[in-house]
Amino acid sequence: MNTFADRFSTSTAAGELRRAKALLEDDAEFSEASWGSEAGFGTLAKGVPTFSVPAVPSPSAFLRLHTDDHADPNCRIKIQHGTTTLAFRFKGGVIVAVDSRATAGSYIASGTVKKVIEINPYLLGTMAGGAADCQYWETYLGIHCRLHELRNRERISVSAASKYLSNLVYGYKGMGLSMGTMICGWDKTGPAIFYVDSDGTRLKGDLFSVGSGSTFAYGVLDQGYHWDLSDEEAQELGRRSIYAAGHRDAFSGNSCNLYHVKEDGWRFIGNYDISKLHYEGPGDVPGSAGKGYGYDIRVQSRNAVDVTAEA
Amino acid sequence: MARRYDSRTTIFSPEGRLYQIEYAMEAISHAGTVLGVLAKDGVVLAAEKKVTGKLLDLAGAKEGGYGGSGEKIFLLNSNVIGGVAGLTADANSLINYARTAAQKHLLTYNDDIPVEVLAQRLCDMKQGYTQFGGLRPFGVSLLYAGYDPHYQFQLYHSDPSGNYSGWKATCIGANNGTAQSLLKQEYKDDIEIKDAISLVLRVMSKTMDSTTLGSEKLEFAVLTLDPETKAPKAKIYRPAEIDALLQSEGLKKDEDAEMKPAQ
Amino acid sequence: MSIMENNGGSVIAMVGKECVAIACDLRLGNQALGVSSDFQKIFPVTDRIFLGLPGLGTDVTTLKELFRFRVNMYTIKEEREIEPETFAHLVSSTLYEHRFGPYFIEPVMAGLSKTPSGGFKPFIAATDLIGCLNFAKDFVVAGTASSKLFGVAEGLWEPDLEPEDLFETISQTIMNAVDRDAYSGWGCIVHVITKDQIVTRTLKARMD
Repeated sequence: MNTFADRFSTSTAAGELRRAKALLEDDAEFSEASWGSEAGFGTLAKGVPTFSVPAVPSPSAFLRLHTDDHADPNCRIKIQHGTTTLAFRFKGGVIVAVDSRATAGSYIASGTVKKVIEINPYLLGTMAGGAADCQYWETYLGIHCRLHELRNRERISVSAASKYLSNLVYGYKGMGLSMGTMICGWDKTGPAIFYVDSDGTRLKGDLFSVGSGSTFAYGVLDQGYHWDLSDEEAQELGRRSIYAAGHRDAFSGNSCNLYHVKEDGWRFIGNYDISKLHYEGPGDVPGSAGKGYGYDIRVQSRNAVDVTAEA
Repeated sequence: MARRYDSRTTIFSPEGRLYQIEYAMEAISHAGTVLGVLAKDGVVLAAEKKVTGKLLDLAGAKEGGYGGSGEKIFLLNSNVIGGVAGLTADANSLINYARTAAQKHLLTYNDDIPVEVLAQRLCDMKQGYTQFGGLRPFGVSLLYAGYDPHYQFQLYHSDPSGNYSGWKATCIGANNGTAQSLLKQEYKDDIEIKDAISLVLRVMSKTMDSTTLGSEKLEFAVLTLDPETKAPKAKIYRPAEIDALLQSEGLKKDEDAEMKPAQ
Repeated sequence: MSIMENNGGSVIAMVGKECVAIACDLRLGNQALGVSSDFQKIFPVTDRIFLGLPGLGTDVTTLKELFRFRVNMYTIKEEREIEPETFAHLVSSTLYEHRFGPYFIEPVMAGLSKTPSGGFKPFIAATDLIGCLNFAKDFVVAGTASSKLFGVAEGLWEPDLEPEDLFETISQTIMNAVDRDAYSGWGCIVHVITKDQIVTRTLKARMD
């Protein structure tokens, strides 16, 4: 079914393989790849990533055997699931907020993971699922976004960038890539967010949350969201939602990284320790109560009253 | 005539009596007296020991953690004290059953067993021994002195037939008739615990067989409510404490006292 | 997923100079979802013995009530409080009764046992879920963060710590170990037991 795509596509794994094989065979002659936009040194076999696939009947099953930790928690390749990432669009641009915890099984491998990938100064990608997969392919996406700029003398749209990524991962569909990412940016159409995952899904939307803690984040996000938020209120909403997920979800937490994408590009707002948000709150920010977010903190005055009543 | 109908518990006599049970009660009427009085702020139990003697090793009882484990008065649960009259071996078995039943209730309901429920459990078991199995009944009567938040302080009496009833003041064992009539005269409904203690000790001194009244012959226990924690507090008196109590009531009678000439 | 990891939670006990300390986290979860931040896993058995029960939440409650039953019967019959070593064996036999359908708990005990001279000796013990006893001299750990607790305790523990120092050591151990475990945390509680008093403190821990 995919033979047409396989034969003529330029960005799938099969295509790369084909090209690599062809170039290896007739080194001196020009191949098909030397015409059109493929011409030039940018697509030489040696510069193109090639992936050797194991010589087994079903490479995807082989990979799943080694990466699926639902079936076998002691599998060799640990894909770090468990995360909370969110992004939403509003009048002031795009807010991107993520947690920073990486778990391998129940072990918290790190609390300082950067789950927002800075593709280029005006495009951000979030990381959920396999860290390596996200990091690698989003960086790779950055290369192609730059090439697009050079070839077309204009910035790539968020739509095009996300489509490039989604088509790329579709080529690896079934082989065990694990990615749930949101490509966020500001282009000619205004602020834009596209959700792209390793199944091949690509969705445009105003508000997304991805990861094991997404349900908790949605609760806060859905309740507080509207288009006319001010910049500070929107940032606070992002922070508060990640806090909710970090608190309740065992696989999310440690700290929150907050970004704000505007017309001129993205800006890193800050890193907030989630436990500190629990006890002390975000500080003097509009939209917050000024105190800690935690339940026991918010209930202190009730308990204080009980104590004095008994005395 | 009765002889044909009294060798098995599981048959009635022609007059409609269960002789084995009556014989059990007869056994109890020879046992040491146990007296119980219900006050508005507590319950008092006193018992006469029958197994005494110089050679008896009471060292454990003196230091004992709860001052109990005599032969008559036992702690059944933190909120119930039991006094037994009758066959000691049968009594030990019933005490063990009662303690287990109280803990089982705690395990199931996370709540101290109500006093009447404990009495019912024991009575249900005792009744079983009068109807099936062909086994003889337990030759024991018990007094249960307890507290629960539902009905506050209570005093129950159960007998070998498996029957029980609640009392304000009652007596089992030897001379229980005398004691009962004394109690009927002197008991007042709003009696306080310290008056109940005096009443019990006076009645005991009048009904006990022996001439001496001291810790070798008497066992004593009181169940009250701790004023701060509002939890039931069971106190089974140690021998030294019994003697001190008798002294303060002016009832202590030594053997030597009889020999001293009146001044 | 393992049954022992469903609800999460960890306990540690340490020996000091004439004192013992026992600490647990306060989390109860349903796999990834945190449900309660007030689920205590340490229970007093007598004035001088504490029992920690990490593992499946329902068994925590059941076992605590079952041990209350058995210790009450012991106290009423023997007319004295149970000693720590005896209690440890009670725990072991209770668990072995369910050898072929075990409780999903790995108990940890800490206490002060009476010496013949009338003094008190610190005591800690732990068992596996079917009752194999382990009498350690330094510390015992159990729960989803046990491997992390071992690591930090091995690094921080030293013999003959005074009660205040023991408190600091056990607190640092448990707080840092549970921060590396997704299924433990959401607050910690520490009990330090000396012959005169028991001091219980709740720690301000990470709530994520």
